[in-house]
Amino acid sequence: MRAETREVIKPDVVEAEEGAVSASNLVHTYLGSQNPALEVKTFSISEGEAVLIAGKSGSGKSTLVNCINGVIPHIFPGDSEIGEQVKNGMISGDVSVYEHAVRSTPLATLSTVVGTLLQDPETQVLNYKAEEEVAFGPENLCLPRDEIIERVNEAVEIAGIRHLLDRETYTLSGGELQRVALAAVIAMRPRILIFDEPTSNIDPEGTEAIFEFLKKIKGKSMIIVEHKLERILPFVDRIVLVDDGKIVFNVKKEDLMDNLDTLLKAGVEVPDYFVHAREMNLRTAELSLVTKELKRRGIKLHTPERKISSTQVMTAKAKVSSGEKVLVDAEITVGQGELVALMGRNGAGKSTFLKSVMGFVDKQLNSAIYLNVSGVDLSRAGIQKRGKYVAFVPQAFDLTLIQKNVEAEVSYSLRKRGEKDWKSRTEAMLEIFDLKEVRERDPLTLSMGQRRRVAMAGALSSGARVVMLDEPTSGQDFHNREMLAGEIDRLRQLGYSFLVVTHDSRFVYRHADRLIILSDGKKVLDATPDTGFRDSGEYGIPPPSDYLLRA
Amino acid sequence: MEIISIVYVNAVSWFLALFGILLPILLIFRAIGLTGFQEVTRFERGRSFYYRLNPATKIALGLVVTTICAITIWWIGLIVTVLLLATYANLNNGKRKLALGLYLTFATAIGSMWTLAPYTPYSILDTAFHTTVLRPIWTWPSYFGIMGYQPNLTLQGIYYGFQVATRFTAVILSALILVMTSTPSEILRTLSKLKVPIPLTFALIVAMRTIPRVFDAISISFNVQLMRGLGANANSLTRVFYYIPGAIGAIIPVMVYLLRGAKNIAISADTRAFRAFPTRTYMYDISFSRSDYTMIGIMIAGLALSLIAILLGFGRTIGYQGF
Repeated sequence: MRAETREVIKPDVVEAEEGAVSASNLVHTYLGSQNPALEVKTFSISEGEAVLIAGKSGSGKSTLVNCINGVIPHIFPGDSEIGEQVKNGMISGDVSVYEHAVRSTPLATLSTVVGTLLQDPETQVLNYKAEEEVAFGPENLCLPRDEIIERVNEAVEIAGIRHLLDRETYTLSGGELQRVALAAVIAMRPRILIFDEPTSNIDPEGTEAIFEFLKKIKGKSMIIVEHKLERILPFVDRIVLVDDGKIVFNVKKEDLMDNLDTLLKAGVEVPDYFVHAREMNLRTAELSLVTKELKRRGIKLHTPERKISSTQVMTAKAKVSSGEKVLVDAEITVGQGELVALMGRNGAGKSTFLKSVMGFVDKQLNSAIYLNVSGVDLSRAGIQKRGKYVAFVPQAFDLTLIQKNVEAEVSYSLRKRGEKDWKSRTEAMLEIFDLKEVRERDPLTLSMGQRRRVAMAGALSSGARVVMLDEPTSGQDFHNREMLAGEIDRLRQLGYSFLVVTHDSRFVYRHADRLIILSDGKKVLDATPDTGFRDSGEYGIPPPSDYLLRA
Repeated sequence: MEIISIVYVNAVSWFLALFGILLPILLIFRAIGLTGFQEVTRFERGRSFYYRLNPATKIALGLVVTTICAITIWWIGLIVTVLLLATYANLNNGKRKLALGLYLTFATAIGSMWTLAPYTPYSILDTAFHTTVLRPIWTWPSYFGIMGYQPNLTLQGIYYGFQVATRFTAVILSALILVMTSTPSEILRTLSKLKVPIPLTFALIVAMRTIPRVFDAISISFNVQLMRGLGANANSLTRVFYYIPGAIGAIIPVMVYLLRGAKNIAISADTRAFRAFPTRTYMYDISFSRSDYTMIGIMIAGLALSLIAILLGFGRTIGYQGF
């Protein structure tokens, strides 16, 4: 019925009223690649319109925005056909932003029209002082000193970072750093803003600040690439799904409900309550209304099963301090086969806890560790011995891939420890992690999911049965997070136990058995996610909608 | 007896060969630590003398120190090293910086000495020390020969290595002062005023921003290798030997990691109009203060004293006097 009343806008048919962005017949092939990464027939954005670009990792979202902000072809030329003739018989294409043809306009000029905020604040901030970072763009434009000061003040006010101006950028949290990067973009006074997964690498509080900002600037032309669909919807007018380098649909926000299946099929994260709203034929996907309607209809939703083990496999207690300042002072236990999630604000001591347990903390810090794994006291053991019982996979897991091929990577630990049965055990690990087909490949050339599996297999081949993962969900889309959850689940069934640091509340609610929250280095909460999310908001961790739907 | 002698010769030979490599690495990993390296390679806000100086003055300091060390006798380089090291106490968190500077100087000196001592040709040692009689300390077995050159350790070789090291240490300490007390933006401003092309200065800026991250990345990669069993069967004495393969193993993944990040750096800079014009304007002007004039005075005095030293025969020439 709804399908009859609503007009579903088919791919590539939304027309801009007054063009902020327009693209036609755009094809881009990265250098060295056989197939185009992006093929767009037409695409446009009106003045003042906010468009969400959705799609799983590698679908072509970033390529599309890079064709708009001029990064393609000005920084990465590839075989882009912006404004050029014919590939596979297609007509030449064009991208323009506020009447500036992207290909023929210098990037410096484009940067005053399009502002781009990237995913990782660590690598996009160039300066050591926050104020210098904000002034960097206007200084490049050779503006008079008074105007630079005016723009910096304006950007600082809009982004709400006045209190951060005197800080060194390396002392800022991810969320604070992202807001400094945002102010730096605003200082260019662009007419359209591109946000390329701006909250993927930051904590919930930092994410909240970014969304607050989006609320404040509603009405400005924006392109937002974001995985957190439910959070971003209030700020956008239109949703574009990109999959396999093509625009699959391009619909008004109001018509999203008719396209949920396509989104799910494309691996995009769709909150549960959207699906329930559609099932109940609701015209809106508002959480409170969906919850009310579920109650009214007496529909009981399935709650994720939790497995709380009575057998403790790891007890870790760490006290780490830098001079007088205590960075972490907490005790965490992990039960047999459990997935324990460790959450908290940036700087709460989560990563420090994991590193101290492994013996990775810097010599300058004072640390006192108690570590018992499967009845073996490892408190005084060195890193090598601890690694036999506990495996640690850092957030930047590529840094652990040091061998020429996957097989050598997986067998590394066994060979170094002089295990005689290393060949058969390597085979077993390759089998468990589904890596047999790529055993001869260089680990660094594999896909992200495969690289992560190699890193995990390499860490676990020592025989460790407890795994500590540091922010494995950071910067990952729904598809990759669910893949990770599947891998963890499979290993848990084989008897492995997990302690996972994450900012992703939904991941925790869907998959974890226990939720532990650290605040200022102290453990302030240890419960199942079903009870833990009642109070998590106090510590800067908003409960996920999946929890609220059932609460 | 012969077997004992063979074992002894080989054991001592390997110990001496590896001493100059392992001791600096041990110092770097154990005493300085990777966070220590981060501290001496990144900017930290401060109020003392060096922080008040114009970056141009600090660049000039580096050049003057290099010049003095290059044109004068080795012990003047040593004096400059000691003086510069002493001024580290005046930096922010001075005691720690002084200790880090001391370890770094020691590691550099040992590394430089051991690189030069066995491989400096006798003809140079003869000329430098006005003698044809060198005092041998150790002769390595023939299999230590490299491309036909047979290394031998002599007392004069060690002296010579130490003399050269005193020049490196002073230059490194002066360069680190610039890095620790100036932001990349300040240096960019200064070099831009000196008409250095912006793309060249940008390379410096990116390096300044990236180097502290390199240490962090190496630390993770190295520790994970230990966790995975590198040196697991070694005892506490021989474990240090595994630092070398650990550091080598970290090179490729760290480079790949940094190159992936470099893409973002390029996008971040260029989408904010970097290189839009051959020059830039600045929010804050950098001016010369009284501290700069004081430092310039000290540098001029240093150069003048060097010239006097050369006139007195303490110049840096082969066949020089003074040792």
